[in-house]
Amino acid sequence: MRYDAIVIGGGHNGLVTAAYLARAGKKVLVLERRPRVGGAAVTEEIFPGFKFSMFSYVVSLLRPEIIRDLDLPRHGLHILPLESTVTPMENGDYLAAWADHDETRRELYRHSPRDAEAYDEYGRLMHFMAQAVKPILSMVPPDPTSFAPGDLAGLLKLGKHFRGLGGERLHALVKLMTMSSADFLDEWFETDVLKATKSASGIIGTFLGPRSPGTAYVLLHHYMGELDGVFRAWGFAKGGTGAVSEAIASAARAFGAEIRCDAPVSRVTARSGTATGVVLENGDELAADIVVSSLDPRRTFLQLLEPDQLPPEFVADIRRFKFRGSSGKVNLALDGLPSFTCMPGVGRQHRGAFSISPSLDYVEHAYDDAKYGEFSRRPYMDIVFPSMIDPGMAPPGKHVMSIFVQYAPYHLNGGWTDAKREAFGDAVVNTVECFAPGFKSHILHRQVLTPLDIERITGLSEGNIFAGELALHQLFFLRPAPGWAKFTTPVRGFYQSGSGTHPGGGIMGASGRLAALRILKDGGGR
Amino acid sequence: MTQSRYDAIVIGAGVNGLVTAHFLARAGRRVLVVEREPNANAALDVGWVPPQVVHELDLARQGLRITQPDPWIAAPLEGGGRLELWRDLDRSVEAIRRVSPADAAKWPDFCARMRKLATVLERLYVAPPPDIESRDPRELTRIAGLGLYVRRLGKQTVIDLARVLPMSIAELLDDWFESDALKGVLGAVGVWHLKQGPRSGGTAFNFLHHHVGNPIGVFRPPVSNIASVLLGLPGIEVRRGQEAMPVHGPDGHLTGVGLGPHGDTIEAPLVVTSADPRAAFEHVKPDLDPEFVRAIDNIKCRGVVAKGTLAWQGPTSFTNLCVAPSLEYLERAYDAAKYGRDSERPYVELRAEDGRIEVHVQYVPFRNGDSNAEHDRELRAAVVGVLAPHVPEIKAAESRLVLKSPDQLHLTEGHLYHGELTLDQILFMRPVPGWSRYRMPLQGLYLCGAGTHPGGGIAGAAGRNAARVILKETKRS
Repeated sequence: MRYDAIVIGGGHNGLVTAAYLARAGKKVLVLERRPRVGGAAVTEEIFPGFKFSMFSYVVSLLRPEIIRDLDLPRHGLHILPLESTVTPMENGDYLAAWADHDETRRELYRHSPRDAEAYDEYGRLMHFMAQAVKPILSMVPPDPTSFAPGDLAGLLKLGKHFRGLGGERLHALVKLMTMSSADFLDEWFETDVLKATKSASGIIGTFLGPRSPGTAYVLLHHYMGELDGVFRAWGFAKGGTGAVSEAIASAARAFGAEIRCDAPVSRVTARSGTATGVVLENGDELAADIVVSSLDPRRTFLQLLEPDQLPPEFVADIRRFKFRGSSGKVNLALDGLPSFTCMPGVGRQHRGAFSISPSLDYVEHAYDDAKYGEFSRRPYMDIVFPSMIDPGMAPPGKHVMSIFVQYAPYHLNGGWTDAKREAFGDAVVNTVECFAPGFKSHILHRQVLTPLDIERITGLSEGNIFAGELALHQLFFLRPAPGWAKFTTPVRGFYQSGSGTHPGGGIMGASGRLAALRILKDGGGR
Repeated sequence: MTQSRYDAIVIGAGVNGLVTAHFLARAGRRVLVVEREPNANAALDVGWVPPQVVHELDLARQGLRITQPDPWIAAPLEGGGRLELWRDLDRSVEAIRRVSPADAAKWPDFCARMRKLATVLERLYVAPPPDIESRDPRELTRIAGLGLYVRRLGKQTVIDLARVLPMSIAELLDDWFESDALKGVLGAVGVWHLKQGPRSGGTAFNFLHHHVGNPIGVFRPPVSNIASVLLGLPGIEVRRGQEAMPVHGPDGHLTGVGLGPHGDTIEAPLVVTSADPRAAFEHVKPDLDPEFVRAIDNIKCRGVVAKGTLAWQGPTSFTNLCVAPSLEYLERAYDAAKYGRDSERPYVELRAEDGRIEVHVQYVPFRNGDSNAEHDRELRAAVVGVLAPHVPEIKAAESRLVLKSPDQLHLTEGHLYHGELTLDQILFMRPVPGWSRYRMPLQGLYLCGAGTHPGGGIAGAAGRNAARVILKETKRS
């Protein structure tokens, strides 16, 4: 059996690549190491009756053209909106953002009339900036070191696009690309808890604090989802995040792709600089004209290939590519919902997120711990109760609680052990307990995932949720390495399509789609 | 219309103000410089003096001396002894070999890569910043020329520029070196005058900014007597001990400068101020565009450096001494500043001059007036505590050490560079986006200080750039 293309890794990007290739009539095989597709976008019944979006838990960045091209709603994709964000404060007060714009404004006004005024203008600017950056997400990054006509034209187009924004917005873009989220927000707002909560989306997945330059870009990266697609908001996939992967897999199969689970690949075979196929861990050899890896750059180039198959300076660049996983996840099965001191009882607040980011200093202190190799004693957390929105996630009367936690450094002093993992879990639930006394008594089961666990289960190097840090020097034509940001690799017929390529992380699928388009443009195997 | 005695008034007799004044005077303008401080500063000036300034003002013949000590830095080592880095690459390699043979092997290559990047900055610094919004074909040609120039330096330089500038100095150094002592010495320059630690993005740029104009392998700017040479040059009038601000008449037009809060006005059609932008416009603010004022008020200039002087007779065991034993030491020093406290163990650097030792202490955050004699004492004790193991004789001299913390520097938030050199505050973003070409939004008013491109730590580049723009824009009929 010979395939036109073999895609290594059945995460959402691998599946998107496979779907687009199959849609173009290619004979495609997807090889997934685990028993189920999805990678870090999986739903698993960790405890009987309790289903969890084990890793990635919210959806919003998924590119609308992918939803459209692959007709994902027909394959079962259904997004339920996340309605609010409540930040409990240390003094017992709270800051809330609701689905209703006027209500949010009134709430902000309570904290600061000035900030309530600035809020709309800020929203407009971010909306515009996200719009301005979006075309870049769908663009193959031109190489500024190349004199090829295609690259020059790409650079020129880029230059024109940015100049077209006009002075004020161009300046705002430069600021977003270079500033810390705390400094950027300082120019707009005075309420500390507001700045803390907003800046938190600038630290997700990074090994940086809110006061570190570079975090404003991540802020924008996360803002892009807020206006995309049909739902214009962060949301849950019905059935958990795994349902997104299942929908893409279903679309790929409908186009004729074959998906094989429990099929770990040990290496990519190549003859005289051209990929010929893959060897599975069980020794089976599969031949294909095109091989695509949707794994992260480190695994793609340093594990699937032998170093002598690649130029040494390229290998050096890949070794230099930074992962530094900094996030953990705690999944809880509950027999009842916690009541938060700031907003007692159970109510609509549980249909949204709770952000544990009471002040900028709080989040910054959380980073300080991680900087010196410890997990945060009082971490930043993003808490949601998926069973409140999709009751199918837990048995009747019971709930699931998902806690995204930062910071948990991959390189922990002394290394991660079972005891350290539990200590980390304790720090998380004890911190929640401070804001919601009595919460711990509702816990039936607890799953704690450290960056090391994320790496072991999903394969993401160092547990980095973006398959490589979203730092300015690892974006665009530098992602994953200069000269190799266009989905090709130094090995002919071998392509990369994971989040470690442009434009990077989140359940976005853009890398997978751009890679497929590139492969088809190159002739796609035949 | 009354005829004023001066064609131009320059506020501030710092290096940039004096350079602007002399360039204007050479073009035949009658120039008055007004300076707040009654006495000239005795210390030497730190920073690259661009050869264009030296040449065009003929400073070499006026006694300009630019010096760079050799070794250019000495850093105490944990186990005793010092790491000394020299202008001679081979000599540095020998010295580094004693702390890490691997680092020694990489030193020449590292120095060559950094030198090349600094070359790009040097070219950018001796001209007004590229105006990326411009539709003027001449400006677009200039920008294209810059782009071509950079690409001619080679593929690696383009990649390095894109990759290194946004990086943290810690990441850059960790990519190359293993020795804590070496990384501490180099990392310290990366945080100079920034309220950032070595792990913050953009500090690699700040490192390169201070490499500009230096020979290969030297990562401390030279010192010079440029201010005193400029003061000695004929052609301008300097008035000391008077605080001046741009003022305008009832019709909103610039009239000249006002002396003190209620003092006289000296009239002139052109006012150039080298003051820090946040303080420069106090009297004319109400008539400026509110968006411009908002941008000015948003300039980040969080002072974190205390400057000190210690009168010293006799020899010292060093010329430049750096106490920043590791990147982690610097990062921990920064942690305190994040929360508004002085570093318990600050980064301290000493520079011996004739009869004095100049002291750089970081981090000492601005306290907005909440500074008192007790703070001074604590700060002095902290500095002496850090230095004593390496320079024992400092203990006896503690009472002579005069430290000026940011609150005592008479600058907005005590920032010596008039605005932090972070990536969002350089080039066409400095001092504020859209107003990077020295002209301010009031006819006849210009900025020429460290708050403008290319910023602090460079002697006279901003002053010269500003003067050239002014002369072009105010050609006399």
